[in-house]
Amino acid sequence: MGPEFAQFLSGMRKTMEQVVLPNLSDRFAQEQAGIVAATLGFLEQVHDKVFHYELLENDRYKLLLGQVLEVLGTDGLGDEVVVAMDAVRAHRAADPPGSEVHLRPYHDLRASNETMKEQLCELIRLQPRLPDRVRKAFDELLRPFFHDLQLRERSWVKPLGFDASGADLPEIDELLYSGGRLRLSDGS
Amino acid sequence: MTGPGSIVPYTAVLGLRRQPTPDWIAQVRARFPVEPAIDEVFTRKLRKRVETPEHSMDSSGLPERLRAFLAAETGQPDLRVHDVQRLSGGASKEQFSFGLRWRPDGTGPAVTAPMMLRMDPSEAIVETHRRREWEVLRAMRGVVPVPRARWLDADGGALGRPALVADFLEGTVRPPGADQMSGVGMYFQPHLREALADQFVEILARIHAVDWSRCELPSFAVPEPGTTQAVDWALGLWERAWYEDTLDAHPIMARAALWLQENRPVVERPVVVHGDYRSGNFMYDEQLRINAIFDWELAYLGDHHDDLAWASLGLFAGPDEQGNRLASSLLTREEFLSRYERASGNPVDRDRLFYYQLFSYYKISVIAVATSLRVAHARRTHLDAMMNFASGIGYVGISELNRMLEQT
Repeated sequence: MGPEFAQFLSGMRKTMEQVVLPNLSDRFAQEQAGIVAATLGFLEQVHDKVFHYELLENDRYKLLLGQVLEVLGTDGLGDEVVVAMDAVRAHRAADPPGSEVHLRPYHDLRASNETMKEQLCELIRLQPRLPDRVRKAFDELLRPFFHDLQLRERSWVKPLGFDASGADLPEIDELLYSGGRLRLSDGS
Repeated sequence: MTGPGSIVPYTAVLGLRRQPTPDWIAQVRARFPVEPAIDEVFTRKLRKRVETPEHSMDSSGLPERLRAFLAAETGQPDLRVHDVQRLSGGASKEQFSFGLRWRPDGTGPAVTAPMMLRMDPSEAIVETHRRREWEVLRAMRGVVPVPRARWLDADGGALGRPALVADFLEGTVRPPGADQMSGVGMYFQPHLREALADQFVEILARIHAVDWSRCELPSFAVPEPGTTQAVDWALGLWERAWYEDTLDAHPIMARAALWLQENRPVVERPVVVHGDYRSGNFMYDEQLRINAIFDWELAYLGDHHDDLAWASLGLFAGPDEQGNRLASSLLTREEFLSRYERASGNPVDRDRLFYYQLFSYYKISVIAVATSLRVAHARRTHLDAMMNFASGIGYVGISELNRMLEQT
């Protein structure tokens, strides 16, 4: 199938930059066309990594939520926490660790990820209801997860050009792949 | 339509955000404490979300609506509106310049005056209250340089959407060579910094010195001094904006919201907080005098540290010739704070400053990752491409949030 996305995007960006922009006289239109050209440049750099990005997130959220369930245990938890944990377990039954989610449509993968994000956020919101010791252990799980998450996101949006520290960030490829393969937790 | 709005939502909550039900709206309103005026515009936004079609860029009917509105407001049926032009910039609101031929005192000879129309898009990246902006602009007139607010269409009954009309001022917002999005990492040459830095600080000190109890600010709720009420409302606003608008739950945002809730500082003496005080929101003339402070839509009565944190936020910092990052691209952060203390007499409490810095990163992340993407997703903005592009700021903001949370 051709042309490849990269070629579509590159062609549109060149046309915007060299044909459309120089012939616009309205300042508002120039500004917006410039942003469209820059967006096309960004898409050129990331379009072929979107599915793997989501697949990695799927892997990491499943791993973390499994650890969170272990840390929270079963004793001394309020009703709201129990309900939130039950929701996590139900989703893990529907899309368990090691599932063949990579064979499903992108929408299903993204929906699974969004569900896990919402569930993690709800458990974070409920942290004040946890015993101190459990809350501390939960926080200890979050710190390395958050570090990796923000680094991945920041590297992803680096080509948009807003990050003054962009030059110091790893390329998104380095964070997604190792030895030419996606860095899934069971294989890395 | 085949855009993202037609795709099945990934989760039930995302479905409710897209098509809010009355029950869900009621739950949201009960969950987040905000000022009554803020509740009014946020609730209106959710109700309209079900009804409003995508935002139209067709402004061909605007000149006549504007003429009719101004004729009614002034009682001058023969006034003329001409050269209505869309302005660049203005991420949050649609802005137009136009010429107005009218008699300012009602009886004398007609003159032509340049004017500016500032109007809500179908859904804004920051849902704010035009009447509040109008009130604070009028309260600040004569205190600090602001455009003169002339007419208000608070509910959009005349112009289609809420709007205000103010005098159009000439000046420079983006210094020569600043290609970046306004206010983000702009560069001011040394002679500009030399001329503007002290003015920037002194104007902020004057804003915070205003005796708001003597001002006409009926749309502003007054927090109880010596309590957390001011920050309760401010935090409620931004948490609610995130909850209503985000397309993507984010655990760092959830953790930050929890920290902000659990560490709310008391506001001893509420001041008028500008809410978006930084480079990009002031303008200077050819004599290098700051002749206008813009974008008062986020003003509220709260802690002066909020403006200090926002104005000195690393995300807005621009470099000097050695690559040092400057507060609002004008002076070092320490200079900014010490000059502010001298100019205002208000102490800078480092713990409070830390709180509001973290809060500032939370706010910019809400704007760039949640509200901007929501209005682009729903096609209710005049800046579709830019709203998506600006998400790059938001993820840097979330990363900085996490860096600060790691210090707690």
